[in-house]
Formats: sequence, C-alpha cells, structure tokens
Amino acid sequence: MKFAEAQLDNGLKIVAEVNNDAASMAAGFFVRTGSRDETPEIAGVSHFLEHMIFKGTKRRSPMDVNREFDEMGANYNAFTSEENTVYYGAVLPEFQTRLLDLLCDILRPALRPEDFDMEKNVIQEEIALYQDRPHYRVYEALMNRHFTGHPLSNSVLGSAESIGQLKRDDMQRYFDRRYSPGNVTVVGVGNLNFEAFVDKVGQTCSLWQPYDTMRDLGQPGDSRTQEAIADGKVTREHIGMMSPGPAAQDEARYAAELAATIVGDQTGSRFYYALVEPAIADEAHLGYTPLDGTGAFMAFVSADADRAAEAVRIARAELKRFVDDGPTDAELQAAKNKIASYATLRGELPMGRLTAVGFDWVYRRQYVPLAKQIDTLFAVTKQDVHELARRCDMTATTVLGLGPLESL
Amino acid sequence: MSEEFFIKEFPNGLTLLSQPMSAASSAALTILTPAGASHDPADAAGAASVAAEWHIRGAGDRDTRQLQDALDELGSHHSEAVQSEHIHFSSVQLGRNLADVIAIYADILQRPQLSDASFQPSRALALQDLASLEDEPARKCNLLLTEKFFPYPLGRCVYGSQETLQSLSADVVRRHISALVSPANTILAVAGNVNWDELSTLIERAFGDWSGQAGPTIAATDQPAGITHLQKDSAQTHIALAHRSVPISHDQYYAARVAQTVLSGGMSGRLFTEVREKRGLVYHVSCRHQGLKDTAGMFTYAGTRPEVAQQTCDVTVGELRRLTEGVEEHELERARTQLKSALIMQGESTSARAAALAADWYHLGRLRSLKEISDSIDNVTTRDVTQYAKDWPAENLTALVIGPKTISTN
Repeated sequence: MKFAEAQLDNGLKIVAEVNNDAASMAAGFFVRTGSRDETPEIAGVSHFLEHMIFKGTKRRSPMDVNREFDEMGANYNAFTSEENTVYYGAVLPEFQTRLLDLLCDILRPALRPEDFDMEKNVIQEEIALYQDRPHYRVYEALMNRHFTGHPLSNSVLGSAESIGQLKRDDMQRYFDRRYSPGNVTVVGVGNLNFEAFVDKVGQTCSLWQPYDTMRDLGQPGDSRTQEAIADGKVTREHIGMMSPGPAAQDEARYAAELAATIVGDQTGSRFYYALVEPAIADEAHLGYTPLDGTGAFMAFVSADADRAAEAVRIARAELKRFVDDGPTDAELQAAKNKIASYATLRGELPMGRLTAVGFDWVYRRQYVPLAKQIDTLFAVTKQDVHELARRCDMTATTVLGLGPLESL
Repeated sequence: MSEEFFIKEFPNGLTLLSQPMSAASSAALTILTPAGASHDPADAAGAASVAAEWHIRGAGDRDTRQLQDALDELGSHHSEAVQSEHIHFSSVQLGRNLADVIAIYADILQRPQLSDASFQPSRALALQDLASLEDEPARKCNLLLTEKFFPYPLGRCVYGSQETLQSLSADVVRRHISALVSPANTILAVAGNVNWDELSTLIERAFGDWSGQAGPTIAATDQPAGITHLQKDSAQTHIALAHRSVPISHDQYYAARVAQTVLSGGMSGRLFTEVREKRGLVYHVSCRHQGLKDTAGMFTYAGTRPEVAQQTCDVTVGELRRLTEGVEEHELERARTQLKSALIMQGESTSARAAALAADWYHLGRLRSLKEISDSIDNVTTRDVTQYAKDWPAENLTALVIGPKTISTN
C-alpha cells in the first residue's frame, strides 16, 4: 500500500492509494459541492447536475457515455449529498486509461437543452420514488428541522416545483461556480499506475479554468424541537432523532464513532438491547455523521404506532444514561473491535477504500493509512468518549415522527 | 488469480467447502441450513423467519446478550437471512478470529437455547417486519411477485401472514427446527484468510458429533400466470413482472445471463436505454435472474408515476419480447465483458466468495472455477441468446402492480 499525490497548475488535486495486489482499480472525482451550496431558487440543482454529467459532452452523446462505461465492464455510479458530489468507477487494471478518459471528459458536460428536459422527467420520478419511502422522508424532514436557518437544511433532491422551474442556464452558472478545478479532488485506489494516472488526468483537466469557490461555513443554531407529521398513508411510526456532533475536521470524530457504535449499532448496542431485543421497535440505530465544519448524531427508530412514544422515551433515557455515565470498558473494547474489523473488511476492496481515501482528503487534506487510523481508534479512552458525549450533549435532540401519530 | 478449492463431506451429511485467499486478512463464513421458508407448514408460514431470529437468542452456555457480546468482541459482522430453501447464516471477521466464531456457530446450530422467554420477541419482530412492508411498496411488490410466480410454496413470502405468525407457538417452531436443522444437506463454506488443515480439523471437532435426518422434500404446485393489482394511494405505480427462465444447472444458463445483461446490464442495457434514457418514464427499471434449484425466473421491475404507468409497462414488455428478434454482436461482446469483470471484482470479496461456494454446491453439487465460468460466458453466441429468448419468451407474464390503478400487461 503506497500513497501518492500530485497537483495540476489550475489547482486540481490528485491523490492515490496504490495496492498492486488488488484485482481491480477504482477512480473517483470528488466535487466539494451539494445542496448546502444552493440557493432556494435552484434547490436540487446539484443532484440534477449529477444526472446531467452522464448526458454527454462535446465529443460524446449520452448513449456513448453509457456504452463506454459498460464496454469496460465498469462498476460505476455517482451520488450527491448535502456537501459532496462524487462520480466513480471501478474496473480491471487494463482499463485504467480508458476509465479516466471517460471520467475526465464527462466532468465537462454539454448540458444540451433536449437532454436537460428529458432528464427533468427522471428527476421528477426520483422525487416520487422517495415519496413512497418514509425512511427517506424522515431523514429529509429531520435535517430540515435540525438545521433550520442553515444551508444544511436544504433538500438534496429539491422539490417537484423547484425542479420544474429550473432552467438549463441556471445549471450552467452553478456548474461554472462549483466545478472549478480547485474544488475537485481526483482519487485513485487499488491496482493502478500513478504516473500514467496523473498524465491522463493532466491531459484533459489541465484545460479546466479555475474560478473562486466559496462555502458558507457558519455554525448552525441550537434546535431541540419535537414534532410528529401525521400521515395516514404510512403504516408504522418512523422516528428520527438528531443531536450535534463533532465536525469532520475534529479529532474527536474517533470518539464520536465509538459513542455511536456503543449506543446505537445495529447489533449488540444499548439501543439494540433496550428496543430491538424486546421487540419494542424493529429498527433502532444511531450513527455519527461528520460534516464540513459541524457534525451530528442521527438515530432512526421504527415501531408500531402504539409503542412509538414509549420507544422515544426509552431512546432518550438511553442517551441520558450514556451522557451521565459514559461507556463501560467492555463496551468500548467491543466497539473498537467492531469498527476496526469493518474498516479492514471494506479495505479489502478498492471500492471500499475509495470513499475513505477521498473524504480524508476532501475534509482534512490528509492521507492516513488504515493501520494508523486503527491505531488512533484503539488509543481512544473511556474518558475521551464520555467527555465527547457530554460536550456534544447527545441528549439535546431534535425529534421527528412520521406515521399515523398526531404527536409523540 | 490462482484458485484452490477444498471440499470435505462428513459422514453426518455436512459438507465443508473452502477457498483460501492469500491477499485477504478477513475470513468469511457462510452456512446454509435446509430450513428455509418453503418448508414452513402451511398453517405456520413465517416459522423460518422466527426460527432464524430465535436461534441467535442464546446458544450453548451463553444467553442472548453473552452470545451477541462474544460475536462483537470477535469483530464479527453477522446476519441471518431466510430464503426459500435455506436459513442462511453468515459472519465475516479477521482470519485470526475465525476459530472462535466457528465455535459460537457450532452452539447456534446444535445447541440453541430456544427459551420461552425469547420466543415472544422473536415472533413480534417478524410481525413488525411484515408490517414494515406496507411502508416499502417496491419491496413488497417484488416479494409478492416471487410468491405468485414460483411453484407454490417455493417463493412464499418469508414473513408469512399476520394470522399465521400470531398463531405460531414456541412448540410448533421448536418441532420445526428440530425436524429441519440438521447436518444432513447443511453446507458450510469459508473463504479468505484460512488454512485448510486447521479448518477441517476444527469443523470435525465442532460439528462431527452432530446428528439428524434430512427433512422431507417439498411438493410444489405450479401457479397460473396473470396480473394482481393491490390498490394503494402511492406516489408511484410499482410494476413487477416475471417470466420463466432456466436454473443454473441448465445448459442455457449462461445464455440466460447474457440475455439478462443485454436487457439490464449497466446503463447501456436495453431497458434503461428505452424506458429511462429515451423516454424519461422512470428512475428505476431493471431485470434480474433469480434461480431456485429446479426452476428460475426473470424478474423485471419499474417504478413510475401513475399517469405513465401503462406506457412504461408497454415499453418494458416490448423490450423483453424484442429479445426474440436477436441481439447484436456488440451487445454480446459488452455483456461478456460486464459479466466477467463483475466476476473478478466480486472475487476480491471474501463474503461474496464464501456465498458463491455454498451456492455452487447447493445448485450443482460441485464448485466452478473462475476459468470455467469465464469460458462458459465466452462460448455464448448471439444465436444462443436468440434461441434462449425464443425458448423462454416473455409471454404468460406473472405481474404484481401496486398503485392507484391497475394496468394491462398484454
């Protein structure tokens, strides 16, 4: 395992973790932009743009793009969040240069009006699809309430109305501002040739014009609302709970990851024993979400409507007990083993390392080998975790229910 | 990539399979035990789902919590899944913890506590899983289609029904477990950082004394094709279609896989191109091949807004049927590359390899090398794909539609 980095004159950064024992390689373009970088008039443009990136360039039609990915047998896709848009592909090593040729090219899309209009229908379908998923609706509404007044409250998908009104030229302007080379990191992992990698990326991407890009990094306010959205079409009560956590740039993220695992891992956690094991809820987990300049703990619980209020009470009590008393030695040790084991398993696949290496760079401008991250994790003490839980006040939650209930 | 397989069949009926992988530090364990949902008695549908959950609630000397904590301490990522034929236990961990994890699974399979106290919550979770389906119409649509399509009860919804779950007693499920969970026809596969000699000694010690008879074979009945519509005021109309295909042991199997890839491999597949890219009718449309031991199906799903549901269905079915008109050489070439790349990339994952070993043994009674699969894919011609499409056409569709109004599949 070997780390390498390079930078083009226009500011585009290239980082790679080379592992010549791997059977495949993966490459990703990490663009530091998402719904938090949108204004209300263009809500949903980051995600819509992600779709348009696959719609061709000056020298490729939309069908060319799809066909070429598939001709390499690539495993490829893209995703958009509140603060990142990531395009990636994994291929056998022999396709390295072809994959990069394609990725570099599509990152300067034609945005043809006819493709824009056709893809708008697909985005509307995607919005409808998520309307049938209460899990996602809770996530979106919870982010909206917890980050009220802050750009992190913006919906990634936007709304049927905002997408309906969006113009092709609005997207072009957003693209010009956000896809500047200084705002993009190209990441390679697995069995790749770094010199050829940099040459290929340089050939196309050194022509990209730099612009100044900004992000509003203001801190969110304090939210502790509790609310239930009654919807008779939803069968079970889906509950989200959210409290502040350390930022992606904060070393306390290791302690936060441990706290989330102890309190709310899918198996063997305090939530599991208090809620799932006795079948009060069929799902109850808590995760840590590191964000740019801030962070959060998010819990999701789903229960029969007649036990939902009880489930919320129990979840709150478990959070309070954790903030009051901290973890036990045994819990801390088990959580460390679980996280280290999971990271190792993911690390065996290039696709598993891609986002880890990519986000290490996007958020912290650093590369940390997996073994060193695991050492850091194992050095976290019981006091560190307890101190973090108190400092963040994991009991200071925004609570939101979606389902049959009028109130929780 | 060099491959080495090891196989050992124990006198009690248990089969051990292994593939050491030198680059891996993890070792993945898969156990298929023939107590899947199709074995559930008709008046006890859902028994296998309850059994899978109940099994991990205490085994040997450990109660629920001690068992869970022991697995956590070993960094085990484990799951229990109920399928048609099997309950599928899987656990992946660092290779150095494999022996300790196997000792725990020896308890789970041979010495589950199955206490009265832990029965009720196991059943309550199955009931909640069933209720959760109402909030996941796409998943429900596909599960119910599988139930309608395969010879009954091979595809039956693993959660059973509210009535059967509520009437289940601990004794019924206990009897069911003791009749079916036995070494006979159980397959145990390990892939990754593992030494064969140590593994086979370990399994001999942990499972050698296990005894029990094989359960009865299931009599299955063909079901009529046709459309089922479930009225729901959902944002999308969920359309799931199935038609017959060939199982993995059939000589047209690889042609079927190529056909499925031409239809639905990547974003250049025919369904994605025609339904989404050219017409903007859906976000999701795809087709997958799903096989049981003696039968298989092509399952197609599209989710779309009600006002364009009929058009979406027409275009989708049209593409399924157009396959009989033949495929282009470049489509075949692309499908081959996609299938072979996926094979190699999945080969990097110890969990995927362990599951593949166990599945090969169940379906074929032998293990396929990467080379055999790759050669078989290469040998498929455009004529083979066309012939496959003609032999197994998308006619007499079984369809499941969830949405405000129904559609026609003709």
